[in-house]
Amino acid sequence: MAFDGFPPFISAQLHYLINHFPDKIKVEQVLSGGKSYTGGLDRFTLLIPYCLDHIKWDVIYNAEFPLAPPDIIFGREDEDFHPLPMAGGEGEGDLKSRTKNILSDWKNKDPTRLLALILELRDQYMSYQRDRVGEVDDDRLKFEINTICSREGIEMHISSGSEKIIYPVGRKYASTPSAPRLKLMSTSELRALFSIDDVKLPSWLDGMCMAEYLPHLEESLEKQVLEAVSLIDIRRRFIEALAPLFGRPLEADPVFCRKATFLASSGSFVFLAHFLMSTQFPKQQPTLMLQSSQHISPQGFPKKSPFLTEYPWSPRWDVSQMAERIFDFLVEESLNFKRFCNESQPQH
Amino acid sequence: MSSMPKEGHRGKTKMEDIEGDASVGGGGRYTLKPTRISNEDIIICVDVDAESLVEMKTAGITRLDSIKQAILLFVNSKLSINPDHRFAFATLSKSASWLRKEFSSDVESAIGAVRALSATTVSSGQADLTSLFRLAAYEAKKSRAQNRILRLILIYCRSSVRPHHQWPVNQKLFTLDVMYLHDKPGPDNCPQAVYDALVDALEHVSEYEGYIHESGHGLPRTLFRFMSMLLSHPQQRCPQDDCDIPKPLMKKSAESANGEDNVHVSPSQ
Repeated sequence: MAFDGFPPFISAQLHYLINHFPDKIKVEQVLSGGKSYTGGLDRFTLLIPYCLDHIKWDVIYNAEFPLAPPDIIFGREDEDFHPLPMAGGEGEGDLKSRTKNILSDWKNKDPTRLLALILELRDQYMSYQRDRVGEVDDDRLKFEINTICSREGIEMHISSGSEKIIYPVGRKYASTPSAPRLKLMSTSELRALFSIDDVKLPSWLDGMCMAEYLPHLEESLEKQVLEAVSLIDIRRRFIEALAPLFGRPLEADPVFCRKATFLASSGSFVFLAHFLMSTQFPKQQPTLMLQSSQHISPQGFPKKSPFLTEYPWSPRWDVSQMAERIFDFLVEESLNFKRFCNESQPQH
Repeated sequence: MSSMPKEGHRGKTKMEDIEGDASVGGGGRYTLKPTRISNEDIIICVDVDAESLVEMKTAGITRLDSIKQAILLFVNSKLSINPDHRFAFATLSKSASWLRKEFSSDVESAIGAVRALSATTVSSGQADLTSLFRLAAYEAKKSRAQNRILRLILIYCRSSVRPHHQWPVNQKLFTLDVMYLHDKPGPDNCPQAVYDALVDALEHVSEYEGYIHESGHGLPRTLFRFMSMLLSHPQQRCPQDDCDIPKPLMKKSAESANGEDNVHVSPSQ
């Protein structure tokens, strides 16, 4: 990402922040504070991931006073968030004085400063939100928080009256009389390996509380993730086993290994062979589909076969056997398909 | 009988004119590495010089007619592989100009653009690829910012006009593929020299392995076949000399008994 228009010291700090922040931080609303443009761009808004959402903080440098640290403007709902110690204030010493030190000891040539400042402020923000949640007069909520607070990485957020308590794995919790509504949300990294739609949640027994349920959930999730990862590997090896027979695929999904497309021929008839593997592979056999590279209907659509799912299959075959049996099936099927394409329209 | 291409030279010194699979094997065992690939932004640039109106072997069909068909087949195929690839369209006469600038994954939009393709009536004289590369490089920066990669597919039709370009040595921001349709070589043309110039350009500017195919046959199905080979994703390609597709689907026993018209080898001379 290029940040043209920023003075170098701001650009360096912003780059460092984006590249080293533990999650994906976004930048928007880039502006210049000065009336004349000569100073360059010196203000922007950061979208900082928090509690499965984002908080927006404005970062205000002053290009004409490069030695000074930036000001930060927090969201309108956070009027009570005061990360700096008040004059004469006591307690909360550590957190607040750390922030104060970063600001009073500001070195504008040090690219790591902005990251340090934002991380400190975010920690303080978490603590501030935890206090706010603690003030909510709800016995159930108080009990749950007390029993799970020892776990790491809890983020809490109060927004317009509803409370959220978030684990690193990501659960949204709404206060209801019996079982809480549990919603699993995954980070983008996890999503690439594992579909959250396939997760089976362990059942919530009456009288359970979060502290009892969560270990079950974590254990179950870990098992399911491991199983999903091993299934990806089987699909990957299957696609690789197709290559000696079908040639190098035109394109294959390298992360999930759910699909691959090959280019094949039957005589001078050239066609695509699509392979679609579900998450139940190899229990469930791949869906195949053939598509002509030479025939197009008058409406402008290419000729395709129906989805082929009925052909000899056993999940107990090894991958090269699977590939050979599919090859044999398609040798026959491609003749049918070729006939079908040529019948409605002669080959060019 | 055409000679085999020299190593890594894509038949540069002698054009290949083989219909049927390339005989060189897959170049080692195929592995599907778990590295992410990007969705593509593909600019299809069609040479609309008067030579695009030369007739194919099929009577009444010009090169441009076949090119239009080939593009629609290509776009449909590419989207059925992955519906997130996108397309834009440009033309080349003396230099490049946009036909449809906005990238879109909508087939209707491609149909519209293709319909608008029309040839110049007078010869363009020269073919300056620099403007085309500049256009592609500019778009490539935008694509990259969206985690996409840019590919430029040039479909070129002139048998005597060698394209030229000026480009910095190390600027490889997009992948270039070329499809070259030409007349049979004769005393009044130089398709081999044109082909060599296209290979040079491809190797000069291409970010990933670019592919080039040529045909002097005039058969639409040859054009469709080669365009299908360009469907392969640049980040998952093997060197062109190792290409082993399309593979023939036939019974093992039939391989030696050549009942089918599987492989024709026609000399280019």
